[in-house]
Amino acid sequence: MSVDKLAYYPGCPSEATAIEQHMSTEAVFEKLGVELVEVEDWNCCGAAEVEDPRVVYALNARNLAIAEKEDLDIVTPCSICYYNLERSNRALKADEALRTKLKGIDSSLDYNGTIKTKHVLDVFVNDIGLDEISSKLEKKVNVKVAPYYGCYIGRPPETAFDDPDNPVLMDKLIELIGGEIVPNFNYMKTVCCGGPLMMTRGDIAFDMARKILDVAKNAGADCISLACPLCGMMLDGKQADIEKALDVTIGMPVVYITQLLGLALGIEPNKLGLNKNAVDTKEILGKVV
Amino acid sequence: MPIKTWELDPNFKNEIMSEAGGERLASCFQCSTCTLGCPITEFVPGYNPRKIIQMSLLGMREEVLSNPDLWVCLICQTCTARCPQDVRIADVLGALRRIAEREEEAGNLKIDSPRPLFDKAFQHQLKKFGRLYDMGLAMEYYPKKEGSFIKGMLAMMKDYKDFGMRMFLKGKMGPLGGGSPVKGMLASKIKQKDVMKKIFEELGEEGKEK
Repeated sequence: MSVDKLAYYPGCPSEATAIEQHMSTEAVFEKLGVELVEVEDWNCCGAAEVEDPRVVYALNARNLAIAEKEDLDIVTPCSICYYNLERSNRALKADEALRTKLKGIDSSLDYNGTIKTKHVLDVFVNDIGLDEISSKLEKKVNVKVAPYYGCYIGRPPETAFDDPDNPVLMDKLIELIGGEIVPNFNYMKTVCCGGPLMMTRGDIAFDMARKILDVAKNAGADCISLACPLCGMMLDGKQADIEKALDVTIGMPVVYITQLLGLALGIEPNKLGLNKNAVDTKEILGKVV
Repeated sequence: MPIKTWELDPNFKNEIMSEAGGERLASCFQCSTCTLGCPITEFVPGYNPRKIIQMSLLGMREEVLSNPDLWVCLICQTCTARCPQDVRIADVLGALRRIAEREEEAGNLKIDSPRPLFDKAFQHQLKKFGRLYDMGLAMEYYPKKEGSFIKGMLAMMKDYKDFGMRMFLKGKMGPLGGGSPVKGMLASKIKQKDVMKKIFEELGEEGKEK
């Protein structure tokens, strides 16, 4: 194993709508023997709502600088946080004038560009590795999964760490833990869930999320797996609202990949927050053997 | 729509290219790959980022900045990932949105979307607390969107009553969330809130007004 300690950036949803992603991320890393040190006093990455790149770079310079003091690379379970941290890291590493300017605004933004930023999926598959994870598996998670990747894992090219059209990192983990990837879902893997329009064009957001849920259901999935809390809010948190607004019945469990991996590692379901997903996950638990 | 050449603003493309994210605008050769791959085209008829780029290059400033389609972009980056000319379309649209917001603040334009209000409310939360506070965001956004506090609260209830109850029962929001009755209700605040204030004041739109 090439990694034993990382700085952990939970992101804002970890304290509210995606608390189960936070719980399962911590539990899985602990089981894998990788120590997570939470970025002390971390601030929001800017999400999709801070559109000015310079403000995004400044916000994340602070987060990066805190991790740099500990001499640790940063890992985050959220795809949007990852995108903002990574693009800021790249911009700051490449531009000394920018670093100097930010340092002038506040000393806490003094970042020297010495650490890496990573998404949990990247760490699991490419740093810890499938062999290492395989040696720690205790159970078989015998479920049919529609692996949904969303936007920032394979896009945009300079921050991506998987294929833009057919990403595979989550598929590899699911197959490793005994799950099955449903056929006919591949073309939906990276189509946006609509989340960024939830508060301003909820009608479009609902239609987009419904399409993903429908395709997963028609493909015969037991659940959808995710790696982003905004996707979780749309597909899981809002699923009952979508059913009501569009007069449809879906009933598709939606779990984070860290929750599935945690089950395979033999971690207690409640410690993985599986009682906190909005759509009931009991059927999945019944398939863990 | 015929183009009135005498109304074109030849400097518009330079204005966009000097805005962060807009730098690569002029590389576009109009292949339409952005539009063919865009997931929004399925839900918004006529949505066409290629056309927005070409109108921008031609200098159709007013038509571009008042186009409501600017505000349904998901920033999903599919266009950017597929563009053979590396135009960074998602970032160009972001640059256009920021120019449009400044024009609206200057009283030159009326934006037909609540999205600037949402983005601003989000940024206020961030500037105040350093982290996103969902309830604070909704309490700020809905009254502004609906034009009054009462209407805002009613609209918020309509959109979020069921969702809020669901999150409450799962212990994600409200008195059962955040690990304690108090923490679940209040904003999560960082210690160095002053740094957030400095960042927004020096680099944000407020900084430009100074």
